[in-house]
Amino acid sequence: MIELKNVEKYFKKPIRGKGVWGMFKTLFSRKHTLVKAVDGVSFTVDDGECVGYIGANGAGKSTTIKMMSGILTPTAGEILIDGKHPYKSKERNAVLKTIGVVFGQKTQLWYDLPLTETYELLKYIYDVPEDEYKRRIGELIELLDMKPFMDAPVRTLSLGQRMRADLAAAMLHNPKTLFLDEPTIGLDVLVKRNLIDAINKLKTEYNTTLILTTHAMSDIELLCNRVIILDAGKVLFDGSLESVKHMFGDSRDITVRTKSPVDCDSVKAKFGDAILKSDLSDGGHNVTFTIDAVKLGSGELLGHLLSQYEAEDVKIAETGIEQVVEKLYKKTGVTAEGSGE
Amino acid sequence: MLKELKLYPKYVSMSLRSGLSYKADSLIMMISFGITEVVSLATIYLIVGSVPQFGIWTFGALAFLFGFVLVPKALDHIFTDDLWILAYWAIRHGDLDIYLTRPLNPLYQFIAKTFKWDGIGELVVGVVVMCIFAPQTGIVWTASGVIGLILCGLLGIFCFTGIKLIFASLAFWVKNAGIFLNTVYSLSGYAKYPIRYMGKAFASIMFYVVPFGLFLYYPIECLVLGTTIWWAVLWSAIAAAILMTIGFTVWHIGIRRYESAGNS
Repeated sequence: MIELKNVEKYFKKPIRGKGVWGMFKTLFSRKHTLVKAVDGVSFTVDDGECVGYIGANGAGKSTTIKMMSGILTPTAGEILIDGKHPYKSKERNAVLKTIGVVFGQKTQLWYDLPLTETYELLKYIYDVPEDEYKRRIGELIELLDMKPFMDAPVRTLSLGQRMRADLAAAMLHNPKTLFLDEPTIGLDVLVKRNLIDAINKLKTEYNTTLILTTHAMSDIELLCNRVIILDAGKVLFDGSLESVKHMFGDSRDITVRTKSPVDCDSVKAKFGDAILKSDLSDGGHNVTFTIDAVKLGSGELLGHLLSQYEAEDVKIAETGIEQVVEKLYKKTGVTAEGSGE
Repeated sequence: MLKELKLYPKYVSMSLRSGLSYKADSLIMMISFGITEVVSLATIYLIVGSVPQFGIWTFGALAFLFGFVLVPKALDHIFTDDLWILAYWAIRHGDLDIYLTRPLNPLYQFIAKTFKWDGIGELVVGVVVMCIFAPQTGIVWTASGVIGLILCGLLGIFCFTGIKLIFASLAFWVKNAGIFLNTVYSLSGYAKYPIRYMGKAFASIMFYVVPFGLFLYYPIECLVLGTTIWWAVLWSAIAAAILMTIGFTVWHIGIRRYESAGNS
């Protein structure tokens, strides 16, 4: 179980003067600005949960992950992973053996050597017994489809291959918790999809607790059942994937292409404020209604439209978390930008 | 600690094998380190060779001192060269992240990952110069003198490492501590010369502040003067203990302030 209690991380940034003289003065000046990267965050993650940790750039996601994985020491508050502090030198090693970390932008693989070399080293570092190691590496190679590049030096791997290899490195010691910091960054659609599938398989296979930051909302929708939204260092929302959609408006776009023009006003009159927006194009032959899914079922509206008009084509689009978050960022984006990570 | 020792050969072998991709690179580095030192010895000869003796120092004795300074310097270079990267680069760029997430001492991981065998160039020049000039130093060689000198050489490695660790760890505060480390480290070059004749102020700094004079120059001075070298061994041991303690302390305080780097 992971517990965060009122965790704060402040960075002191010295105020730098301009020019050489200014730089010199900075050396002796104690003036600084305080950047509150994480500002009183509390949450609890139970074993086996999969949490999507999202927020705009600079909201403090990576800083939180780095505190949970032993890289940064919180300024205030407490982080407990199964009752131990990952950032205290006496408790570090015990905690770190139970977690795995993947940073999308950094690799822990040995740059000039084949993958097996890094894995061998990690085997020793994490005290994985030989037979356990052999079994596990076999499973991971299979699951992540890594056979073709096991013997190539890491520097020759493509980003997608490297990311899978990094994932395997983080899973080698069978961690209870896996932290993924933007694991799909820079990957193309297909590779990204494969990686997400692989993470899903790993998660179900080993019942790993997953904490994931990403900007690709599809990752969250495919992997997580819980979402924590962070903004300017504070938790803005913490709940299930379903409830986040609900909370910020669960709407559907229903597009119908008809033979005769649709009379929008009569439809609006019938359903009232359940219809949030209507969009006509092609002289009324193509119409899109945005409806509030809580007040009105899509079936009801469609039934009405189909009974009145002869339809050529019908399309229903559910508002994804992507739109929800976009809305959210726009509302609060000003505060998040520039607060730094 | 046991785990770190057991893992070290593994690290060395990985470092050597990954270095194989850049064989020519390392070879050139090794040869150039060697040549640099030979040339600088030749320079000393050009300057000192015209006078028969410089206080207690003949050219032979100076050359021997020169060779001795290179030995702990080269060995430190071979084992802990990545402290330079810590000072200039790693802290500023957040490169310590991956070492901090593993259940093994992060400082050990950072240092152990590079075994800089090109430092062997310096080491060979140092040992060869010492062997060539040992008979011309006027030193009366005894078993106790040789053992004492070897101990001084070994303790000197820790002194070098300690000094490097102290100034490299300053990067936790100033981000780029390369210039501090570089300045201090360059001072070690002066230990190749008779520091006593360089003025009281400078000599005091070299003995008591950044003690290159104490653990590099002083042992040879003892031998040349014919006094016991064991005082030098004792002082080297004290210097090594103090410097390593300060080094580890600065590192430990610093790592708590480690800020990583943003994703950009």
